[in-house]
Amino acid sequence: MHTYGSSLRVIRACLKKDLKSSFSEPLFTLVSIILPLNVLLLMSLLVISGGLAPTAVVMQDSGPLAQQFYAAMSQSHSFVLQQATTDQAAALIEQGRVVAVVTIPADFDARIRQQQPVSVGVKINNLNTDFTNDIRRALPLSITSFYAKAFPNMVTITPRERDAYPQDLGYIPYLAVPILVIGLMVGGMVQAGTAAAVEWEHETMKELLLSPASRLAILLGKMLAAFLIGLAGAVVVLAVLIALMGVWPIHWGELIGFTLLILALFTAWGTLLGTWLKRRTPLSTLAIGLCVPLFFLSGPFGPISFFAPIEQIFARLFPVYYAIVVLQHAFHDFTLNTYGIGINTLILAAYTLGGLILATVALRRSTLPH
Amino acid sequence: MLRAFVRAVWTICKKDIRVWLRQPANVAITVLPALALLFIDALSAGAVGLSPVALVTLDHGIKGQQMAQVIHQADLFRVSDATPAQARALYQNLDVVAILTIPANFTRAIEAHQPTHIEVQINNLNADFTNDIRRAVPDAITQLYQQQGGESPIKVTLQEQNLRSQDIQLFQYSAMPLLVLLLVISGLVSSSLSAAGEWETRTIKELLLSPASSGAIITGKVLTGFATTMTLGVLVLGVGDLLGWVQPEGVYWLSVLLILALVALFSAGLGVALGALLQRIQPVSSAAIVIALYLFFLTGGTAVLAFDPMWLQTIATFVPLYYGRHALEMAIFYHSSDQLGRDSAVLAGSALLAVSLGILAMRRGMADSR
Repeated sequence: MHTYGSSLRVIRACLKKDLKSSFSEPLFTLVSIILPLNVLLLMSLLVISGGLAPTAVVMQDSGPLAQQFYAAMSQSHSFVLQQATTDQAAALIEQGRVVAVVTIPADFDARIRQQQPVSVGVKINNLNTDFTNDIRRALPLSITSFYAKAFPNMVTITPRERDAYPQDLGYIPYLAVPILVIGLMVGGMVQAGTAAAVEWEHETMKELLLSPASRLAILLGKMLAAFLIGLAGAVVVLAVLIALMGVWPIHWGELIGFTLLILALFTAWGTLLGTWLKRRTPLSTLAIGLCVPLFFLSGPFGPISFFAPIEQIFARLFPVYYAIVVLQHAFHDFTLNTYGIGINTLILAAYTLGGLILATVALRRSTLPH
Repeated sequence: MLRAFVRAVWTICKKDIRVWLRQPANVAITVLPALALLFIDALSAGAVGLSPVALVTLDHGIKGQQMAQVIHQADLFRVSDATPAQARALYQNLDVVAILTIPANFTRAIEAHQPTHIEVQINNLNADFTNDIRRAVPDAITQLYQQQGGESPIKVTLQEQNLRSQDIQLFQYSAMPLLVLLLVISGLVSSSLSAAGEWETRTIKELLLSPASSGAIITGKVLTGFATTMTLGVLVLGVGDLLGWVQPEGVYWLSVLLILALVALFSAGLGVALGALLQRIQPVSSAAIVIALYLFFLTGGTAVLAFDPMWLQTIATFVPLYYGRHALEMAIFYHSSDQLGRDSAVLAGSALLAVSLGILAMRRGMADSR
């Protein structure tokens, strides 16, 4: 029979033992602490382009209408423009430095004024349909915007936009939040999983299992140690995100609370994985290797309901999705699903509890040969 | 002399392949990240670029109906026809990104040459979805005007010229770099673990005491990494070909196999160097997968490198995988051997350098162990 006091003693002892073990391997602990930051840097490479097409514009006509057309292109949220001569533009697209060349012909102004057809040349490096179609669609946007400003009486149909939020959020501040979640996941799982698996690798689990300590207390102590080290990693990655990248949270209280909950969740699942795999190598390879697929699977680019139904089903299976939802609310006050913050928090708490229960069951059913 | 060398290499290869096959979890984990990404790409490929919108057509006149038809047929959105109330519900439940409303006076306004607007209510929580809508609505308007032929007030037309013979579907475009990722993870992880394992389990002592030369031991290690990685690569390429994901044709099979072999050799050499340098399985497994992911993302990941900032494009030219990726793109998508000589030479040089690094690291490690 385990009393409350003895369980607390076991938790404290396991916590102290694991913290001491971590400090005896300072290099590995340091690597674990900077692992979430490493994930942030790695995944930032994914989103750094911002989705704008680097484009060269050959202005063969420098008249006011041609200039207005250029201005319409630059305001279309689609291009990073640079002016070039024909030869320079040809070289730029050949070298892969731009993905499109737009040529505004010499008689652009004259023809537009005389209401004669005028053909704007577009040379596209049509690498793949997604990026190429963005360019193809951005040019009609430039044309209608140009006409709407230059000849409001001729092209009478225009879009009138009403936005849900006062300003658009850039690509990077939006995606920094899912990347943070993935960083917390990798940091928590690797730290907790390693601490669990090492007991099996060194066969010290034998002593733990033979001791009168409760399995749950052992796990709680180990998880607490992993959680504290993971917390150091979370503080580092949050500091970089907020101070260096300038992604400022709107709800500080939510940010702190959800970060702690998410870290606890992945600490529990890391412990489960470590107890199940019993070896550190597959554990860390799996936790780091799956961070990119899980990032894409969990709806990082917008509300999951905007995606195909099959993607929605898969995303909802993983806690990463709910973690993204609550942290997007904490950082940007965004609502990404209709469950409400309370339900999302409860789901995350349930996953945490589920991880802890499964880890305890896995430990109870574990045996070690002599 | 040569016979003894070959026999020693063969024996080490056989031993390492047996060890590799006895650890199916490790094999599975090395292929899992790339296969998971491939699976996710397949899931999302269908819906990319098409945002879900609710269309409210309040105008029953001819122009209103034409506009609605264009929006349906333009391949720009996933459209749900709705009443204003239904559209609001869809929008609030996050089932659609935007509500497009064709106003009741649309036809009348056009016929009277009066300005009219398509109302666009956007959930602008991230720039990616919002800009897709901003581009798509003017595209639809332009298509409506195009139906008027010579009567159209929009006189600017686009004369598109594509740099490449065909657009590549997004999924196919992503599948090819994922094949490279699989090779790099597999080569780096399996070779580094195999090398570090000899030190961690202290079997390096037996190897050094045996009559096998250090050259034979190192060659055997690199060859095992190369053989296992290449086998996995060819297997996945074969499956990809059967499923129509990546389909080289005719003589280009040879260039694809050559590039895969060079990437596999580069990864295996680098893996052996890493394993011999760190000599411990735990840090090696984490470092190997992180390095593989960095190499992958520095060359554009599954996206288009040309959209990335110039500094990243410059860094990419120093990563050997950049050349492997270019050669594979040329061979698989465009049935071309453009710059194959340059790409193969850089890859072969890098593979040679990586193998030399592996040899150096193994020699130094062996000298320390003697």
